[in-house]
Amino acid sequence: MATKHTDFPNHFLLRRLHSLTGVVPTGIFLITHLLTNSSVAWGNLDSRAKEYGHPGVATFQHEVNFIHSIPYLLIVEVFGLWLPIAFHSILGFYYALSGKSNVSAYAYQDNWRYTLQRISGYLGILFIFYHIATLRWGWTFLIPGGTQWDHNYAASTLAMALQGGGDGMTAAGLAVSAFYFIGVSLLVFHFANGLWTAAITWGITISVPAQKRWGVMCAGLGVALMAMAWASVIGYARLDVTAARQTEQRMLDGKSKPASSADNPAQTSSALPAR
Amino acid sequence: MIATISANPTHATPPTKLGRKVRFRIKRCEGPGKPSTWNTYTVTIDQKGANVISCLQQIAANPVTVEGTRTTPVVWDSGCLEEVCGACTMVINGKVRQSCSALIDHLAPNEGDEISLEPMSKFPVIRDLSVDRQRMFHNLARLKAWVPIDGTYALGGGPKESPEAQETRYALSTCMTCGCCLEACPQFNLETDASKWDSSFVGAQAISQARLFNMHETGKELAPARLDALMGPGGVSDCGNSQNCVKVCPKHIPLTESIAAVGRAVTLHAITKFFRG
Ligand code: HEM
Ligand code: SF4
Ligand code: SF4
Ligand code: FES
Repeated sequence: MATKHTDFPNHFLLRRLHSLTGVVPTGIFLITHLLTNSSVAWGNLDSRAKEYGHPGVATFQHEVNFIHSIPYLLIVEVFGLWLPIAFHSILGFYYALSGKSNVSAYAYQDNWRYTLQRISGYLGILFIFYHIATLRWGWTFLIPGGTQWDHNYAASTLAMALQGGGDGMTAAGLAVSAFYFIGVSLLVFHFANGLWTAAITWGITISVPAQKRWGVMCAGLGVALMAMAWASVIGYARLDVTAARQTEQRMLDGKSKPASSADNPAQTSSALPAR
Repeated sequence: MIATISANPTHATPPTKLGRKVRFRIKRCEGPGKPSTWNTYTVTIDQKGANVISCLQQIAANPVTVEGTRTTPVVWDSGCLEEVCGACTMVINGKVRQSCSALIDHLAPNEGDEISLEPMSKFPVIRDLSVDRQRMFHNLARLKAWVPIDGTYALGGGPKESPEAQETRYALSTCMTCGCCLEACPQFNLETDASKWDSSFVGAQAISQARLFNMHETGKELAPARLDALMGPGGVSDCGNSQNCVKVCPKHIPLTESIAAVGRAVTLHAITKFFRG
């Protein structure tokens, strides 16, 4: 009658590791990643960054430079990020298949979140894969305009990937930007809701009031992350690529922006990479 | 009769319009593995407090469809007729509940209103609206949801229990194994192969009963074995936290609290086992 539990891989351990890898490192990375990316917006608050031109671009470049100063970055990425995310995603995909959503009959808010958790997981895999493949692994054939993301020109090449090239928003760029917008929104929801369920999974929140209180905190975090996510996507979708490139070039050359000069697209357009 | 129970003014029973005709659309099935069909019958409401079971009795007495075809009588299950046995559970207008306490004045207050009846979808159909709920009892056994006493010697006075624990356990003890929580659970699926029951999701009902017996002063003895079973395939971690179970439970059992409490218990149990073996 009683089931055997010497089975390997241990069912319980896998389930708990799935929950854990959703929070650490994946969720913590999501927070830092969105903080970094949205610096294109909040960097404008940092007056020191103004010396190179566009303060948001400069702050973002500064953040990216920091990341690229991490020793053994590839090893950190593979073991600290890609493998945990792959583990969580593959198991999550398999777990999601084991359920059968029934929101049409039982249209409760909690049930909708259960369903959205799974939909956001499915689409999240697609988005994360596209995102890493195009920008990190350089599968430029998947980017309209074929931009190669360059960590020395972090903001401008990111903006070009989202805009379908360096000459302003194209129709294909709009599609990519919309995909980013939906993808990050779903993943932010997924993480915030996942934090809420994880507290039940581990037995941290037990009583209904405790679950409610933690729910309010998760929703608060979700709203803050959503604001950062939207500020990032909209920020890069609307970024002036030429002006951003001037700022980055100055940082690379270690030169401050001349006090008098207004950023002039004509001046540095030759510095744009071949597309 | 239950018809008079209406403590909540927002659920006040509308006045009965005696003599009105109500239609019943019923999902029929001749037996396990047979295909399902729908039949519609008309029932004249000629008494106050009519409920789905009383209407099914009228249909059984004269099983003629709206098209005028005489059919076999519709089969259903029931026992207490006062929402304490759980036998009459079925899907009414798309939602799972007990049919004996489903009042026609609520569901179909006006002439010509229609009510749909289906058997629960997560249990094998025996015939028409009657299903086999065996798996729930199997799951109770799987989690050793009992107090281990063999009755061969006197145990003396029982252990003391705090009023708080007693209050919690009383709520849990009201489960009537009706299956509502499993029918509404997106993680609990129909499984006709009984050999797979030990590794399929146990569901909120059995998880909550395991908590009940883990809290019992004598029942505690089996807690490690219960937690071992709850850690295995189909155990508590297969819950996806949709929280449907707690919303459909007719006994208002705090099922999601039970799930979280058992989640904590298995977390601690796993840590203990890891360090102590
Ligand atoms: C940024 C990436 C992601 C983050 C931060 C993340 C985070 C989380 C967290 C914190 C949980 C809660 C775990 C729990 O309830 O114990 C969770 C659950 C879940 N995740 Fe993810 N996740 C991510 C990507 C994905 C992807 C790509 C999938 C693919 C399908 C996925 C599928 C799931 C599923 C199905 C659950 C629910 C598991 C269950 O309740 O049994 N996740 N996620
Ligand atoms: S909370 Fe868990 S047990 Fe309850 S209905 Fe949802 S998935 Fe099923
Ligand atoms: S927990 Fe509630 S819904 Fe589930 S079987 Fe028991 S009484 Fe029915
Ligand atoms: S007949 Fe017992 S609950 Fe309905």
